[in-house]
Amino acid sequence: MRGAGRRNPPLFHVLLLLWCLLSVFPLLWMVGTSLKPTSEGIGGLRSMIPGSPTADNYARVAALLPLLRNTLNSFIVASAGTAATVFLCSLAGFAFGKYDFPGRDVLFLFLLATMLVPPEVGIVPTFLIMKRLHWINTYWALIVPRAATAIGIFYMRQYITGFPTEIMEQGRLDGCREFRVYWQLVLPSVTPALAAWATISFIARWNDFMWPLLLMRSREMYTLMVSIAVLPVAEGLSTPWPVIMAGTTIAVLPLICVYFVLQRFQVSGLTLGAVKG
Amino acid sequence: MRHAYVFIAPFYVLFLLFGAFPLVWSLILSFQDWDGLRPMKAVGLRNFALLLRDQRFLDAAANTVLYWAVDIVFILTLALFMAILLQGNRLGGKRFYRVVLFLPNVTATVAVGLVFSMLFDFNSGLINSVLQSLGLHGLPWLNSTGLSKIPVMVLNVWRVTPWYMLILLSGLQAINPELYQAAVVDGAGPVQKLVHVTIPSLATVLFFCFLTETIDSFRIFTEPYIMTGGGPGASSLSIVQYLYESGFTVFKLGYASAIGYVLTLMLLVISAAQVFSLRRRGSVVGGGTG
Repeated sequence: MRGAGRRNPPLFHVLLLLWCLLSVFPLLWMVGTSLKPTSEGIGGLRSMIPGSPTADNYARVAALLPLLRNTLNSFIVASAGTAATVFLCSLAGFAFGKYDFPGRDVLFLFLLATMLVPPEVGIVPTFLIMKRLHWINTYWALIVPRAATAIGIFYMRQYITGFPTEIMEQGRLDGCREFRVYWQLVLPSVTPALAAWATISFIARWNDFMWPLLLMRSREMYTLMVSIAVLPVAEGLSTPWPVIMAGTTIAVLPLICVYFVLQRFQVSGLTLGAVKG
Repeated sequence: MRHAYVFIAPFYVLFLLFGAFPLVWSLILSFQDWDGLRPMKAVGLRNFALLLRDQRFLDAAANTVLYWAVDIVFILTLALFMAILLQGNRLGGKRFYRVVLFLPNVTATVAVGLVFSMLFDFNSGLINSVLQSLGLHGLPWLNSTGLSKIPVMVLNVWRVTPWYMLILLSGLQAINPELYQAAVVDGAGPVQKLVHVTIPSLATVLFFCFLTETIDSFRIFTEPYIMTGGGPGASSLSIVQYLYESGFTVFKLGYASAIGYVLTLMLLVISAAQVFSLRRRGSVVGGGTG
């Protein structure tokens, strides 16, 4: 592959740029449409740039949905969930990676096996449990059940296994208890992996749809995604596309901004861990 | 040593409460007839028998298998292709490409689902206006039983490919360059290098991708829910969508649980077949199990 790359670089760039265009185009189209007056046509390649841009559609969406509240809900659920999963997954990953305890391998295999069972199977009982706990329509329902995930522990273990055992020993000689070994020695040295896992978790939770659709039962408690999903039928049966696109832009943009800030921690750090095996 | 158990305990406690317990309860429910209000009625295997004669379920199952097959072929092929391009590109811009190419995976399925619905719209969608400007007829992408699965698949491939592209890229970076040099000495061209060095070296990573994407695509829900509502008819309905509908729209809780168990069974059979076929070929399951 390398040889081909050196001989043929322009072709590589053309193909990569084409794919970039394909990746970005729907998003540009979305933003462009959201700025169009509802009277303007949305089809046709020439209508990519709105003739007379307007922010009216954004005002209309804001009038239709409690967007501020929905955004706040998404933010609370995503950030609390992310904080919990980063902490619990790295702690468990540390235990699996750096301790030798009876039953470790069986427990870890069991953990991996849980990934094969789709959580949707238990969706009816999960709803009943949430109802019994009085967690329907609360943030707890979305934060707690997935506070520690198998895939997160797997990634963290892959990464933390490489942490030098001698440093841990030294820490113990200096009088560190086990939790402080984790907190003060291990955690600071694995921040790239933590950041990568945090980015992935935050994206997944922000974009989550089925669980909030099921467990959030009032417009005020909807997350942004559930709220946006009802947009097409929010104004009778046919909300104009530019108004819908204003809504989706609001739902997508914050995350894209976060992504651009955090892109240096991209998943590469973690995926490398998965590959090292 | 006791610390270790405390450190890993949260996962197992949460799994017990919100994973295993619902799973067992769901199994019990699958043998009951229950609407959530009146007393349950034990009906043995009747829910499963009904499922096999329920055309809507059979359609949903067939659609889901098709989503899986098409998605996995397109996603993994494209992801490998893009990863090779990224790896082979020595002119720089690597970071730029990686950031931009990953963008689709950051966007919410709900939001881009609506965007793609607009692009595939019969009257005002971009895709039909491009077709018409080429002198072709616009097609009722979202409103015909024959075509409605296509937009769902396009969205899924667009959104998920970048994820596997990154994983495969890490895999490529881990390949020993000497293998390529040796291949060149033996007179291998680009295609032979791909077949004899790249793909064998990526075997475990590809297996990991295959398994995780199989599980994910069998659970497809949001794409058809947003774009077509599963319709027209049941032409784009997925299994999880039908599960959700049975449980929370028509309140056939036992029936919904039975659907869930059929889905699990399908997944376990396919995963087992994958692991088995890999074992037979004598490879090591390194990427999957660490």
